[in-house]
Amino acid sequence: MSAVTTARPAIRARLPHLGRSAQVGVVLAILLVLFVLLENKFPWPSGLIYPLNKRFDALYEWIVDNQNSHWLFLYFFNHIANFLDQLVAYLNGVLVWLSWVGVTAAATLITLRWSGRRVALLVCGSFLSFGVLGVWEESMETLALMLSAVLVSLAIGIPAGVLAGRSDRFDKAITPVLDVMQIVPAFAYLMPVVIFFSVGNPAAVIATVVYAVPPAVRITALGVRGVARESVEMAESLGATRRQVLFGVQLPLALRSIMLGVNQTIMMALSIVIIASLIGGGGLGDTVISALSFLDVGLAIVASSAIVIMAIALDRATEAAAARMDASRHPEGGLRTPRFSARTLTAAVFVAIAAFALAARAFGIASFPDTVGVGDFIAGIINDVITWVQDPTKPVYPVTSWLGDHLVLWGLEPLRVFLSDSPWWAVIGSAVAIALIVSGVRQMIIAGVLLTAIGVMGVWGPGMDTASQVLVSTVLTLFFGVALGIVAAETPRFEQTIRPIQDALQTLPQIVYLIPIVALFSVGRVPGVIASVLYATPVVIRLVVVGIKEVSPAAVEAARAFGASRAEVLLKVKIPLARPAIMLGVNQGIIMVLAVVIVAGLVGGGALGYGVVVGLQRNEFGDGAVASLAILALGIVLDRVTRGNLQRRSI
Amino acid sequence: MSEAGVVQDEGRRAAPTERASDPVISARGVWKIFGPQAEAEKIIGTEAATLPRAELRERTGCIAAVRDVDFEVWPGEVFVVMGLSGSGKSTLARVLIRLIEPTAGEIRIAGHDVMAADTAGLRQLRRGTVAMVFQHFGLLAHRRVVDNIGFGLEIQQKPKEQRLDRARKMVELVGLDGFENHFPDQLSGGMQQRVGLARAFAVDPEVMIFDEPFSALDPLIRRDMQNEVIRLQKETGKTMLFITHDLSEALRLGDRIMIMRDGEVVQQGSPEDLVGSPADDYVRNFVQDVPRSQVLTLRWIMRDATASDDLSGPTAPVDEVVRDVVSLVADNPKPVRVMDGDRMVGVVDRVAVLRADGGRS
Ligand SMILES: Nc1ncnc2c1ncn2[C@@H]1O[C@H](COP(=O)(O)OP(=O)(O)OP(=O)(O)O)[C@@H](O)[C@H]1O
Ligand SMILES: [Mg+2]
Repeated sequence: MSAVTTARPAIRARLPHLGRSAQVGVVLAILLVLFVLLENKFPWPSGLIYPLNKRFDALYEWIVDNQNSHWLFLYFFNHIANFLDQLVAYLNGVLVWLSWVGVTAAATLITLRWSGRRVALLVCGSFLSFGVLGVWEESMETLALMLSAVLVSLAIGIPAGVLAGRSDRFDKAITPVLDVMQIVPAFAYLMPVVIFFSVGNPAAVIATVVYAVPPAVRITALGVRGVARESVEMAESLGATRRQVLFGVQLPLALRSIMLGVNQTIMMALSIVIIASLIGGGGLGDTVISALSFLDVGLAIVASSAIVIMAIALDRATEAAAARMDASRHPEGGLRTPRFSARTLTAAVFVAIAAFALAARAFGIASFPDTVGVGDFIAGIINDVITWVQDPTKPVYPVTSWLGDHLVLWGLEPLRVFLSDSPWWAVIGSAVAIALIVSGVRQMIIAGVLLTAIGVMGVWGPGMDTASQVLVSTVLTLFFGVALGIVAAETPRFEQTIRPIQDALQTLPQIVYLIPIVALFSVGRVPGVIASVLYATPVVIRLVVVGIKEVSPAAVEAARAFGASRAEVLLKVKIPLARPAIMLGVNQGIIMVLAVVIVAGLVGGGALGYGVVVGLQRNEFGDGAVASLAILALGIVLDRVTRGNLQRRSI
Repeated sequence: MSEAGVVQDEGRRAAPTERASDPVISARGVWKIFGPQAEAEKIIGTEAATLPRAELRERTGCIAAVRDVDFEVWPGEVFVVMGLSGSGKSTLARVLIRLIEPTAGEIRIAGHDVMAADTAGLRQLRRGTVAMVFQHFGLLAHRRVVDNIGFGLEIQQKPKEQRLDRARKMVELVGLDGFENHFPDQLSGGMQQRVGLARAFAVDPEVMIFDEPFSALDPLIRRDMQNEVIRLQKETGKTMLFITHDLSEALRLGDRIMIMRDGEVVQQGSPEDLVGSPADDYVRNFVQDVPRSQVLTLRWIMRDATASDDLSGPTAPVDEVVRDVVSLVADNPKPVRVMDGDRMVGVVDRVAVLRADGGRS
């Protein structure tokens, strides 16, 4: 494929002392030279383009023609779609019947029963806030959508996870699939889902399920595997059947993990609510997207706050429930039997919920009292602030626009030009070489093939545009993440301060990052970059902290004993030993960055993300599907190039 | 009896040749080679099978955890398997009831051909005939003590009443009265293992297999638990296969001891056989710290009487341990006459006793 690839073994043979980073440096230097010499001489050759988008368009036409006749639809897709449609409608109906009184009571009492008093209070406040913000109905639509997706995800994820936990073979078979599902930005799922299910609630649910299933499977499998081998052997030695082992030992002991899986699934589902509304999911997501298209940032922020509030409430509730699953084995205060049996309590909860709902109807307060437009009021204030921020005569705008311009001028644009105007074969060659150096032969082949595929599909330019945005963001993420991570690892007080911020940032849906940043930096490539840095940095910080903290105290003591200063210990012992964790940070960070950069296609980020947006908004299915595939390919390439010797990504 | 106490002689069973009944467990040529099944099966019977474990691993990637093991356990006997970490003890125990599938061999337990058993037969064997006690107890954290103890019966789908009834009896048997409704993590390690014991006894098995049941406990508790096993064995007369890497434990409990190294049997015999005539340096290393006088019987140190011996001294049975005749020779300068029943089989003089008592082999 290129001079660079074939030269690799030779370089390694001649310069055996070159470290990996130096080898990567050599590869990049060669690419730079080729760029300078051959700029724009080798754009992706049009002869090497296969019109895949036309194929997709044809496929779509065929689907439209056959939707009501072909067995595949009659007996498969349409059934799924109908089922999901009814599920969402049914849940929605239940929520409407309960009315705001019943729903709030249900949420509060259920958390009171299974998660504890404090969380119940939080949940109660959260649900009331939906009404106060004037988005009660939208919130309930979102809740119904999200619950449907979570139910389906768990119905698939828990059995699959149990299977993966019990069978090595099944685990091996699905691991790569899950890997890919987690690498690919959710945005890329939308197009294919729409092609088969057309726009609507079923499509939204399916896209959400695809996104939320992997953690459900992984955490369940981990929980089942985490059950001590001896406990399983114990049951087998007593003659238990596989079923008895599963229900008597493995599931009960994995229950806490499974509950954490539920928690993760809910978080994942909520985090793509907004994106899912692009393909017909109504509710809060729809409010956000349409507010954005009218540039009503205030409303968008209010609606996304409701999503965030819902996420925090459900997160705390399920987490506390998981924690109590352990605690329930230690009845405090010895072994007194509780006054009411668990069953009585549960029954009481449901009776009370029904009573609240019926009472609300009887007293005619089934619709939320008009809170005199608190939401509008807040949105208005936010919009005022934004107008002020965007006013060139006020102090903020000059700063942000300067920052944004320089980011484009010195980072994004040069890199984009470098990647898209270098000879295409040189770009592929260097990526392949780097994959070989960092991750080995197998990953090199995958990276090479997929990168070539991006060109063949005819989206080399946008692909390189996206890649350049990802690289700039990743560099910034690593810079901040590693720096802050080292500081946090060394100063416990700092770590304690930033930990709640990290937690909060991680509950936010990706797109929520974008909205205020768009207000600050206006549309274009910059918001995507900045949002992705904000999104991914906390994870890198955490991995760096964990990595550094896990460095064995013995190694640190040994260094101290030899008289190393604190800085020397850090530089010569801790950071080198924490390198695997930092490498993992690079890998995870780059995947997270990609997800946001793609979503930023909605706010002027251009490139592949925009391809999907156009595909969805203008029904250019072929182009949209090609952009999606290219995103998938790029995600895998970025993962493989940076994965190193990691066997498996953590959850 | 102090430190490395010894099971008293009345506990000893007759030598194998004299046994009337069939063995409860018999294992013939049992192999377990970890690795791909096809690969592993090829190894047995070839020259590769004789390679040291490390070399085999290097050549084939397979690990021979258990190699050509033969042994028998007789009714009512406590048979101890001993060896260093990694010698294949746990694997052997699991292979016996096919928790781990053996690569080759013949196994019979209480008349059942274990290797020929199908899934149902195997389950039957595990439900009624054999019960295991585990190193880390294998308790279920989400169940109360009674429900842990009754777990085996629950698996057999016994009615709840019967289950609880039996479990309560077992609670009493192992001295956990008053803790029935506790959860495992509210108990100390020793108490947790009592639950493990009770669970095994609850199914009233013919054979019990213990896999290092006390090595996670601290020494004092371990001592208690060993006494407990001795007591329970006396009360119930169960046949036991007991795995340990602790020699004093082996000597306290074992009627016979089998020593393993790298998956192979190095020596089998009574405690005194091992202490008196270790088969090789591996066994010698094991037993070197044992106070010989507490293990060896007079049989090992007696000599034939000669004409010059004064045969009017005290008598002692041939299977008395040396330590117990120390006071006899201290009080009496004449050689002790060693008796097998009414017949004198030899004499032991002061020097021999003192040498055996002081020496550590
Ligand atoms: N599932 C397995 N796969 C591969 N090798 C195994 C497996 N289980 C055990 N082994 C190997 O078999 C050998 C014997 O292990 P085993 O656990 O039977 O030893 P052990 O005598 O019980 O040791 P310990 O006293 O540490 O419990 C060891 O070398 C071990 O590494
Ligand atoms: Mg073991």
